[in-house]
Amino acid sequence: MLQYAGQRLVHTLILLWLISVFVFVLMKMAPGDPVMIMLGSDYNPESYALLKHELGLDRSVLVQYLIWVWRFVQGDWGYSYISGEYVSKMLLQDALPVTLYLSLGSLMFALIIAIPSGILAALKRNTWVDYAGMGLAIFFNSFPSFYLGIVLIWVFGVTLGWFPTMGYHPPAEDLTKGIYHLILPSFTLGAWYAGLIARITRSSLVDVLNENYIKVAKAKGVQGRALVYKHAMRNVLIPVVTIVGLQLGGMLRGAVMTEVVFALPGIGRLVTIAVLNREYHLVQATVMVIAIMFILVNLSVDVLYRYLNPRVREL
Amino acid sequence: MGRDEHEHKAKLAETIRGDLVTRRTFLKGTAILGAAVAAGRAGLLAPREVLAQQKVKRGGQIRVAWVDTVDTLDPHFTSSLGAIKVHDNVYNGILRVDYDGKRVSFVPDLAEKWEMPDPVTHVLTLRKGVKFHNGDDFTAEDIKWNQERLKDPQVKSPHGWKLAYLDKVEILDKHKVKVIFTKPYQFLPVAWTGSTGRAGTIVNRKAVEKQGRAYGRNPVGTGPFKLVEWVENDRIVLERNPQYWEKGADGKPLPYLDKVTILLIREESTAVGALLAGEVDGMDLVPFQFLPLLEKNPAVNVVGGVEGNYTYVGMNNKKPPFDDKPLRQAVAFAIDRKPIIEQAYFGGAIQACSAISPPMTDFYNLDQCSSKRAQYFDLEKAKAFRAQSKYKDEVEVEWMVVGGYTGSGGVGPRMAELVQPMLAKIGIKVRIQLFEQATWHKKRNTGDFQMYDEGWVADLDPDETIYPEWVTGKPWNFVGYTNPEFDKLVGDAQFEADVKKRKALYDKADLVLALDAPCAFIAHFKVFKALSKKVQGFKYIPADSMRFHAIWRA
Repeated sequence: MLQYAGQRLVHTLILLWLISVFVFVLMKMAPGDPVMIMLGSDYNPESYALLKHELGLDRSVLVQYLIWVWRFVQGDWGYSYISGEYVSKMLLQDALPVTLYLSLGSLMFALIIAIPSGILAALKRNTWVDYAGMGLAIFFNSFPSFYLGIVLIWVFGVTLGWFPTMGYHPPAEDLTKGIYHLILPSFTLGAWYAGLIARITRSSLVDVLNENYIKVAKAKGVQGRALVYKHAMRNVLIPVVTIVGLQLGGMLRGAVMTEVVFALPGIGRLVTIAVLNREYHLVQATVMVIAIMFILVNLSVDVLYRYLNPRVREL
Repeated sequence: MGRDEHEHKAKLAETIRGDLVTRRTFLKGTAILGAAVAAGRAGLLAPREVLAQQKVKRGGQIRVAWVDTVDTLDPHFTSSLGAIKVHDNVYNGILRVDYDGKRVSFVPDLAEKWEMPDPVTHVLTLRKGVKFHNGDDFTAEDIKWNQERLKDPQVKSPHGWKLAYLDKVEILDKHKVKVIFTKPYQFLPVAWTGSTGRAGTIVNRKAVEKQGRAYGRNPVGTGPFKLVEWVENDRIVLERNPQYWEKGADGKPLPYLDKVTILLIREESTAVGALLAGEVDGMDLVPFQFLPLLEKNPAVNVVGGVEGNYTYVGMNNKKPPFDDKPLRQAVAFAIDRKPIIEQAYFGGAIQACSAISPPMTDFYNLDQCSSKRAQYFDLEKAKAFRAQSKYKDEVEVEWMVVGGYTGSGGVGPRMAELVQPMLAKIGIKVRIQLFEQATWHKKRNTGDFQMYDEGWVADLDPDETIYPEWVTGKPWNFVGYTNPEFDKLVGDAQFEADVKKRKALYDKADLVLALDAPCAFIAHFKVFKALSKKVQGFKYIPADSMRFHAIWRA
């Protein structure tokens, strides 16, 4: 077991290192640089050269990378060229909690809507309930989240005035206000996810209900709720958990759009602006954090999987 | 005293606002009159000011949505209009831009009196009793330190060039300072304004020395508001400075508001949505495509006018095919500006036939376009030029556009699409390529383009809008234009103290520029702000400004 864990750790570290090199090189290859952006309309060749030198950007890419790695592993993640703020603060203290709350809200929203819908659709399959439910699921799974966000803002925020149109308030400080501001964004981000989960849940349950052990349970007289929840659910959830874990990356993509539209100061928005401004330190650190988050999620999915499916535990 | 000086005194007395200056200052030369708007021009600027309908009310707060970026609150290092609008509330300058609906003027701000014993010497008498947000007293030492900071090559301020002709600063006493230049630099009044000029914005020495690089996030000025919080990419919170020196209509210190929260929204439709839902009380910039929607809305006031800018279609003079002058001239006359103004700018612009824009009133010619002495739409004339070009066959060119405010006030792509068929008529096939900001900047700055468009915003003096952009080898001459006759004309105009003579030089230079056609001048665009009707007392100034000094919440 320990050997297994050790192996995984080594693999993880190698993966992270490769990602860092890849992103670093990619960013450097992109035309333009932060100095030009910072100077904007005050550009002139002298200021440009001076500032570039001051920021250490005139050295070779290899040297720049090595310096970055050396500092990164020691906890010095650099600072933003434009704001002068420390990257670690901007990323971990300011932006990460926002995206985590948003993702959590979206996931909860998606699960709460999707799983019962999927179950209902499976139990009432081939009726109008099934068709309507799955129709909606496909609709939301394909609707672009950027546009959905804007539509929701204009309908529920501007016209009806039921929800705030933008902004973030930390739930830690004011729970009601925080949640109130996260409702529309969570719907926007979660909708796509919910559509997917609902369909997987439905097809998974339909499959499971056809299995032999379910027929045996029915023969024994188990029915209704007990049948579904005690006997079927665990097996239904296995593919659901797998897909949810795999698709978490899609959640991040959606988070970028959602954060921009709702003006939430999370990682998605931060890294988008950072890439456009060629903020090398900020982009590097953000990618590393996202990669680590991914790996942790995959790990959690694996652990959950082993819990749900005892047959996997011997491995 | 000679007749000229009498006239200048009289003109000056009209221009300078009496309630801010205890004694009238006089000025040899007419630098300070650089931008007085004649009554007949009011229509051009056509500002829609929010007139105060109710009595002043103290207290309360407002929330405003900022659509453009704020890079730093260190004015000596910023190039973003979004930041300049915040500086205007946190700092004061030596002078400031003022506008009473008819005239644009440069009035004393921290300097109470401005005297010029000779054309290169300026004696500033400073306001007494002014304090920085950290409690420090404002004195002549601060003027000296600020000007020297800008000039210091170690500091590397991108605005240092504005003080290139600064010789020395002498302290005469605690509130009096003498600033000596090597040449009579006419651009100086604009450079010394606190917001757009930036070189005249006064920052606190102790704070800068203590904070170093972090100063841009923790500004200390003398303005009506002080910064209390800046959450990155989220909001900037300003609170009232109880020690501010300027008094309001009720005789007590400004500002009336307790707090201003600036939400850094950036996504335009979100900001508009928030304004319409009543979640914010204003927007610092209204994108053209939202004008019709907001103007119709009964709860919102839209204010704005033509500011110091011009949009042009730049053609690379150093690379084929636009190294050929007749081809460029053909382009300049083939473009019909009217549909661009109506469709790309949604009516929020006027035609431009020169780099000099309406707010630079002593230099702007009302008949610049109607006289047809510069560039104008004439397809036959364009075809005639085209026939003279050395490129006889159809020419294919790439026009690089960029989105966002960088792109001609936000309309670059739309404008390119409108011009494309116009140029097809004269045998130029345009391929439009959209780039993102960083790439576009790099290509523009290194001359790696054939055609591009830009909405160039300049300070309110003709020098800054024409010299560094079109003189040979200057940093903002991206198209690589060169004409020694033009260089001499605008070079002389930099130091010409007589306004009439200076204008004559610019008129001549304008014609040279128009006929050489290094670019096609398109429009001067209007800049709009939107405010909820609950916000009272806002004064529009056509200079990248959103002052919260004297507004109150009804």
